[in-house]
Amino acid sequence: MKKLFSLLLALAMLFSMMSFAAADEPFEISVLLPEFPADIDFVMTDNPVLNKIQELTGVKLNIQWGPNSTYSEIFSTTLADANPPMLVSATNARDPQVTNSARGGTFWDLTDAVNDAENYPYLAAGNHSIYNSISVDGHLYGIYRSRAFPRGGIYYRLDVAKEAGFDREVKTIDDLTELAEKLAAVSDDTYALNMCSYTDGTIKVITVAMGAPNTWGVDENGDIYPAHKSPAYLEGLNWLRHLYEIGGIDPNFAQISTSEWDNIERTGKAFMRFDCLDNAHRQQEWFENNAQATEQLFQSVGPVAKADGSISVWPQNEGFAGEILVMKKAVSEEDLPKVLKFLDWCNSPEGQTIINAGLEGLTYDVDADGFRYVPEEKSEEYSKNSQMYHNNVNQLGMGVPGNLENPKARVNRGYTQLRQRYEDLNVELAPYAVLNPCAGLASETQVNFGAQLDPIISDAAVQYIAGLISEDELRAAWDEWADMGGDKMTAEYNEAYHAAHQ
Amino acid sequence: MTTKAAERRAVHGTGKVYWRRLGAEVRRDKWLYLLLLPGFIYFIVFKYLPMFGIVIAFENYVPASGVLGSQWVGFKWFESFFGFPAWTRYLTNTLILSLMNIVFFFPAPIILALLLNEMMNLRYKKLLQTLLYVPHFISIVIVVSITFVMFGPSGIVFKLTEQVLGRSINYMGSPDTFRWMIIGQTIWKETGWGTIIFLAALTNVDTQLYEAAMVDGAGRMRRLWHITLPAIRSTIVLMLILRMGSVLDTGYDHLILMANPLNRKVSQTLDVFVYEQGIKSGQFSYASAIGLMKSIVSVTLVLASNKIAHLMGEQGLY
Repeated sequence: MKKLFSLLLALAMLFSMMSFAAADEPFEISVLLPEFPADIDFVMTDNPVLNKIQELTGVKLNIQWGPNSTYSEIFSTTLADANPPMLVSATNARDPQVTNSARGGTFWDLTDAVNDAENYPYLAAGNHSIYNSISVDGHLYGIYRSRAFPRGGIYYRLDVAKEAGFDREVKTIDDLTELAEKLAAVSDDTYALNMCSYTDGTIKVITVAMGAPNTWGVDENGDIYPAHKSPAYLEGLNWLRHLYEIGGIDPNFAQISTSEWDNIERTGKAFMRFDCLDNAHRQQEWFENNAQATEQLFQSVGPVAKADGSISVWPQNEGFAGEILVMKKAVSEEDLPKVLKFLDWCNSPEGQTIINAGLEGLTYDVDADGFRYVPEEKSEEYSKNSQMYHNNVNQLGMGVPGNLENPKARVNRGYTQLRQRYEDLNVELAPYAVLNPCAGLASETQVNFGAQLDPIISDAAVQYIAGLISEDELRAAWDEWADMGGDKMTAEYNEAYHAAHQ
Repeated sequence: MTTKAAERRAVHGTGKVYWRRLGAEVRRDKWLYLLLLPGFIYFIVFKYLPMFGIVIAFENYVPASGVLGSQWVGFKWFESFFGFPAWTRYLTNTLILSLMNIVFFFPAPIILALLLNEMMNLRYKKLLQTLLYVPHFISIVIVVSITFVMFGPSGIVFKLTEQVLGRSINYMGSPDTFRWMIIGQTIWKETGWGTIIFLAALTNVDTQLYEAAMVDGAGRMRRLWHITLPAIRSTIVLMLILRMGSVLDTGYDHLILMANPLNRKVSQTLDVFVYEQGIKSGQFSYASAIGLMKSIVSVTLVLASNKIAHLMGEQGLY
């Protein structure tokens, strides 16, 4: 008996020592982030970037990656997880799941934190109208991830276009058509427009440019109607259908995975893309790092005017894309300030620089004028370092007080020129952006049957573009959508819209 | 059957008598009954207790509020599903795929087992059997990838049909070929594995019967028809009854891997609906409700087909 007692005592002492040692260990923050495909795997242990973050903040980051192509599934199972990570990145702040879970008390209420300029200066410096717009019942549950606005647009291979005989700026729809036709004629094995199974963005870029609304429109009576009811939507689809007919789009685009999208341009199989404009300089960077490109290979397109001279642009976002949520289940009330302090740090100049650009001497150098750049001779090494240690960590970036990076990126070579153009274009295009009037509104049918109804429209569009169905059949699919709940959804949005705009 | 039940009543008694006798038996053979305990506990802990989770089908379940704290909504999800005009499409797709599965896939292992049974060279038979089991262990993801490589627009089969027919068939992206591709993949993957149970049944056939038939001058086909098939008939019926229980199960992984915007219409089955609601949209309650509904139909079908089997003079499940 005595023996047992002393053994227990020894054990208890051992445990207390262990817990004492634990107190000295860094505070661990686990986070779920979307992961975009890279050639080299991310390194979790002995990662200089993560070590630096730990050194500066005392926080040990434990990142869980969810592949971007299946992120929505990983996200919903994580919300139901008994042991979720402390921070979860939601790629869509208006996802009904987020709203529903927020009401059920899944996330910490951050309303007070973003109004506490003393403790969290950078969070408090965020755009409060965006904070308001993603709040649920007046409570804020996440820090939005700010994005350049409008960001959506068109870019193409400058060198290929020149060779094909197109050497001017794209200013009108006719220019765009001519460019696409010339790119389509380059070779039988290559395509003009890079499309994959994710068609939503591509279709919206062209239909909105033609004058269609973004997902939902408001008619002259102030009523809501679905985008496909607009004649311009069909015009946009016809534009793509024509391009498909003349061999300008890969016949199998509907079966190509999103993770292949970038590679198609990198292998020179397609020369134009309707997507996020910042991909232009990302692709340029890849060509500079992997194909010894020295000239500007890509060009992003500015405002594209319709026949009547008017301009409309699809915005890829509303100034933000998703948010970072703090899980109640994983963060205790006493740990919450530590987590918030860390989120605040992520938005500080120091945090933004590390999260967005990595570390000096690892992923970039600083030139005499104090700008970040990647020296030519180190481009391969830095690209490798970036993929191993940094790349997707940028998904943790929120940048709510705006870009505070220090040092900032240098502007000269092809990559940086494009990057500058991207920033200029965002300013130029922003006034033409067509917003979705139903973005913050709720529809019960959308929540319950969105997963079934949305594909009816998008699948029919894909089939129409690929020439598999006629215009009549396309219209039949729209009618089917309306009968299966689309009309009800429209009515619900209409009601919500009128209630919000009284 | 009714006589069997009467027999049982005569032996064990009814009502109080039955329970008293059972108690006495348990006391008498307590050590034997103790052996039953682990299995009993296993079923309670892992099969019955989790069933409590079914209540989320009647709630608006939010993980943070828990099963007990979530709002009770009654039959809302069931009403919502039957109020959704497309629900019939999901049901028809499910039934068509299941029916094709029963007609084309179900007999395949039986035929293969009979063929294997006729093999004379035992070593070759064993080798063949082992090889036939291999596809079962290949992940469906790999199977779909292989199909893509072979039947996709740059695949060998695609090119071959183009040469032979003079026109191309879009195997991977057409609603007409979708179901056949699914059935074909299932046959390729599971036929070999499915033979196991039939081969086991075939080993029980008395060889003397064959010898006697041979003496009487019966040929191979006659022996197959009059000896082999009757011998495994009850196994076939048993498998068919069990199969009835999964008429509404099409699985979702295989289907969503094969689905794309060109063929989605025929790929949408009830299991895919559950996946869309539960995993894609995070509507756990909705998904549970549809899952529960499917289970109720399955149990009904198993009980009904078991009854039919009894009526036809077969032993059935129990």
